[in-house]
Parts: sequence; C-alpha cells; structure tokens
Amino acid sequence: MVSMAENTTGTFSNLSGSSNVPSNVSSNVSSNVSSNVSSNVPSNVPSNVPSNIPDLGIDSYAIINALLILALAYVAARITVFLLTALSERVYEHRITIKMTIPIAKFVIYGFALYHIAGSVFQLSAVQLVAFWGIAGAAIGFGLKDRVAEVVGGIVIILDKPYQVGDMVEIEDYYGEVRDIGIRATRLVTPDDSLVTVSNQKALISILADANAGSREMMVVVDLFIDSASDASRAMAILREATVTSRYVYISEKRPVTILLKDYPFYRRVRSKAYVYDLRDEFPFETDVTRRAWEAFEAAGIRPPEAGIIDIGPGSVAAGR
Amino acid sequence: MMKPGFEEEIGLIKKVIVDFWDGHRSNLAVVSDPFRGETELMDEVEGMIGEEGARINARSLFRDLKALNEAPGRIVVVEEAHRLYQRKVGGFEAIDRFLNMLLASDRLFITTWNSVSWKYLDEVIGLSRHFPQKIRISRMSAGEIRKMILSGYEEKELTFLEVELDEEELKIFNRASRQKTLAGHSFEIPYPAISSRSIRSRMDRTEKKSAEEIFFDRLASISDGNPGVAELLWKEALDYPEVRNVLKDPPSIDLHRDESFALCIVLSMGSVEMEYLSEVLEPLGISALNISNLLEEMGLVTIDGEVISVRALALKSIFEHLRRARLVW
Repeated sequence: MVSMAENTTGTFSNLSGSSNVPSNVSSNVSSNVSSNVSSNVPSNVPSNVPSNIPDLGIDSYAIINALLILALAYVAARITVFLLTALSERVYEHRITIKMTIPIAKFVIYGFALYHIAGSVFQLSAVQLVAFWGIAGAAIGFGLKDRVAEVVGGIVIILDKPYQVGDMVEIEDYYGEVRDIGIRATRLVTPDDSLVTVSNQKALISILADANAGSREMMVVVDLFIDSASDASRAMAILREATVTSRYVYISEKRPVTILLKDYPFYRRVRSKAYVYDLRDEFPFETDVTRRAWEAFEAAGIRPPEAGIIDIGPGSVAAGR
Repeated sequence: MMKPGFEEEIGLIKKVIVDFWDGHRSNLAVVSDPFRGETELMDEVEGMIGEEGARINARSLFRDLKALNEAPGRIVVVEEAHRLYQRKVGGFEAIDRFLNMLLASDRLFITTWNSVSWKYLDEVIGLSRHFPQKIRISRMSAGEIRKMILSGYEEKELTFLEVELDEEELKIFNRASRQKTLAGHSFEIPYPAISSRSIRSRMDRTEKKSAEEIFFDRLASISDGNPGVAELLWKEALDYPEVRNVLKDPPSIDLHRDESFALCIVLSMGSVEMEYLSEVLEPLGISALNISNLLEEMGLVTIDGEVISVRALALKSIFEHLRRARLVW
C-alpha cells in the first residue's frame, strides 16, 4: 500500500511536470496531496513527498473494491434478467411489457455500480472527476470510441424505443425476435434459431422494420398464387375462412382481417392480412392458413399457376421468409 | 334447476314482443355464458308467446334450415343459435343462410347465443348488426344468489357452520418448495407461499360477517355469479340441515396451445358431440378423442357417451385461462 501510494504519486508527479498546469491549480493540488499522504502513510515513510498533482486515492484496496462491485453488478444484472425473463414467460399476457423493463434494469444496475465506484470507493472530488474524464476522454478518443458509441446507442435505444425486447424486427438482412438489448449490442433470434448480435450503434443507424412495435399481436401476410382461370372470388372466400378459423388468429375492431386480390399477367395473388395473438405464432399461423386454404382450393377446383410462371422478385414477403 | 330472477331480462323481452305486435320488428339476441340459465329464461318466453310462436333448438338446423321455414307462428325462438357454425373452412354456410333468412323474413326471431361464440362471430361476420336488440345475462351478486338458493327453504331451516382454520392454515406465509434437478442431483428450492384462504378468513373476521354472509360471498366469487355453477356448489356444501363452507378455489390451468384451442371450441358451444369436435380438430392434425380424454382427466370437461361438456365447477378457471391465452376475446 505504501509503495503504491509512492509510485502513484511519483508517476503523476512526472506527468504533471511535463504539463503546463496553472500556478494557482498547482499550489492547491500540492497542499491536498501533502495532507492526504501524511494521513495515509506510516510514520517511517517521509511524508513530504514533493508533488503538485491530485492524489486519486487509488490503491489496491480501492481497485479490488471496484472490481468486486462490478462483479456484484454483473451477478445482480444476470439474476434480474433471469427473474424478469422467467416472470415474463409465466405471466403470459404481459410478456412484452415485462421484457421491456429488462434493458432498463440492466442500465440502472450498471449505472448505480459505476456511480458507487466513482463516489464511494474512489471518493473523487469534482477536480478529480474532471481529471478522470480528461484521461477517459483521451482513451475513448483513441481506442474505445466504438465501444462508447455502442453503450450510448444502447441508452438511446432504451429512451427512444425504436424497438423493444420481444419485438419482431428486421435489421439489415436479419429478421427475428429481439431477445436482449444489452449494454453493447442487441441480440435477435431468427426463425431458424440463430442468435444474431448487432451492435447498438449499428442498429441505430440501420434501416429498421419493427413488425409489432411493442404490441403482443402482430400482422401476418399470407400470399397464395392461383391460376388466372380459377374462381378468384371463391379463392378469396376460402382464404378468409382459413384465416378466421385459425387457432392463432386474433380479430378485433382494430385488428381486422383483410383479403386482397391482385391480378398479374399470368396468375393472381390472393393475400390475407390478419393478426396473430402472439408474435411467436407468425410462422405456425402462416403454415396453418396456407395448408388448409390449399386443401380447400383443391376441393373447389382452384389451381396453382403453371410451373415457371411466377416470378416473385426480390423483397417479396413470400420470398423473404 | 333453481330459477334466477331475470326480471330485467323478461321486461325487455316483453317490450320486444309488444313492439312486434305494434308493427315494429327487432330481432333479439340473448347472450350468456354457459349455465347462466338461458334455457329457463326461454321457458318463460315460450309461456309468453303461447300459440303465436315456435321454439326450435339450432342443433337440428345445422344441416338443414327447413324446420325453421316450416315452423308455425309469427314469433320463432331459436335456442343455441351458435350451433349454426363450425370453426373450420366451410363451417359458416348454415349461419350465413340463417342470417339471410332473418333479413328476408317478416317474423320475429328471439335467439340465444353462447357469449364466446357471439363475440367470435361478431368479429368475423358482424353478427350484432343482425340483432338490433341484445340482452346480455349479467352475473348475479352474492345477494341475488342467496335469494335464489334460499327461496326453496324456510327461514332458519338451515344452519350455516363456520369453518375454523387450524394453526397451520391460519399462517399467512407457508413454506412451499419446488423440486429441481441439476447435474443429475435432485433438490428442493424452498420459497414462501401466501395463503389466500388465511387472508380471506382474517378479513372476514375483521368485517364481522355472519357465517351465512361469508358463505354466499364465497359462493358468488367462486361461481363468478353464475347461477348454474352456484347451484352445483351449493349441492356440494349442503349437508341438510347444515351448510359447510367447504368451497375450494377453482383449479389453475396449465395447457398447451392445441389443448387450449380444443377447450375453447367446447366452451364456445357449451357441449359438443365427438363428431363435431373431430370435424374441427382433425384438419389441424389434432386428435379429438385424445384431447377430450386429456381434458376430462384434468377435470375441465365431462364426457357422457359421445357428448363432451364444459365442467361447470371449472368454468371460472377455463374463462380465465382462455382469456389469458387470448383465445377468448
């Protein structure tokens, strides 16, 4: 501890020697230093070590303390995330609302930990904080700017809410459910169960499509393509019935079912737009409606287009997923 | 079944009939949960219309509406009109024909509907637009249930017994545990469980309610104000001439999606034949027989021959579960 204090002071002493510190600052600082050192250092060590820079009070004990607090914050964050996730899956009807609080809880825990480290462990004064942020700023400028941009991006995502945990989003070419908005990155789980990690900074500047915007229900579009000679009205009626009888559908005044028909030169597209009551049912719903509609189409003599005619083209919902 | 009051509902139905004879026709829909007493209400209506009307159950109309066309009288009571649809592709033909007939007819139709089916059909085909007059049978209060049940007894004929909770049951926090397995080793995780029974008992004592009041409050709460369910619970509690407050909270339900959907189909009809359930579930790849046996095992439905019915005592839990799962809107 003694040598640490001496070394630290010596190092800062050298640093300050090379900088142009104003004389009034320098005198204040040196008086602080001498009083700190004299109170902390044992009597056999010379107490009047010459220095004119602030003592940050950083010794091995403080560092261990800070690391312990960070470790505790990490454990607390993991436990909070685990409990909130478990609770959200149990209280099924409020799943998304509860999941929305997870990133906020994490930021609060880590924010409190950092505040505690700065305030209670290192006991930084205003001057010391300025000095710390000066050094931190330089470090960030040179090496950590991307990391800081990611953390700031995370804070902006939580405050601005372009998407939330539980939403189905498309970021760049990746589509999936937002499972976590972390300190540094957002994690999506794609329909084929791949975990995609996108940095918060990138997620913020990318073009983003949010399919449900915080709501539990979500619109699903089902496209079926039929031969031009087939009875389109009958096809629309069948697709409507297949949609409204699905076990996944949710219908209300604000969430109606819409059936649309579009004519193409060699075929027709019958489109159903309806809501599933849980966004996780998007693909089972699509499969259920498509399968039962086609069974009824076949029974009604409605035929698919001839092979080779359909050119769905890029960006189509049917082609994309 | 004991007869609920229905004064308000009967008043409205009388008005609809009087208006009809005065030349103003407004078809009427009576919407209720299962066991609310809609059959008893229609018995009253049948008495009101007498020779001028006919009473038909929609169960017989699903395949053919001929019986409806041939029904005598100017007023037609169609009971369980929700049986005119099936939740499957091609399952709306009968109800479409029925609603078209309603529009074309100059007769007055008084219909009863299951509340779950009514809400579903209203969202899907705009059912309420076909019925300018609607009656929703409301839940009964503890006082109304008390009046209905005690109407068959003399004053002070029955003795309501207070159930004393023992030391263990009076504790608000009890120790519960959950079995977990980690790396092949099984262990118990203890956690505190709150006893709602104890809290309720303490609150009742604080409010200084009589044993009779406590019993009927609890009966109304567990039955969700449903007279049919309340009557069944009453029979369980009655040990003539004593009445014991042994009413237990309805069970909590944990079902998978397909099981919940099958339960929703049964609830939306009140009771269904196995054939009907198969026609709805088989296209989804769900075995109607297996799933109804499973639901019976869980105490949610009863199977009597080929008919599967919602179990009255589980009705409150079933509604709560299906609303949470958003299968009942």
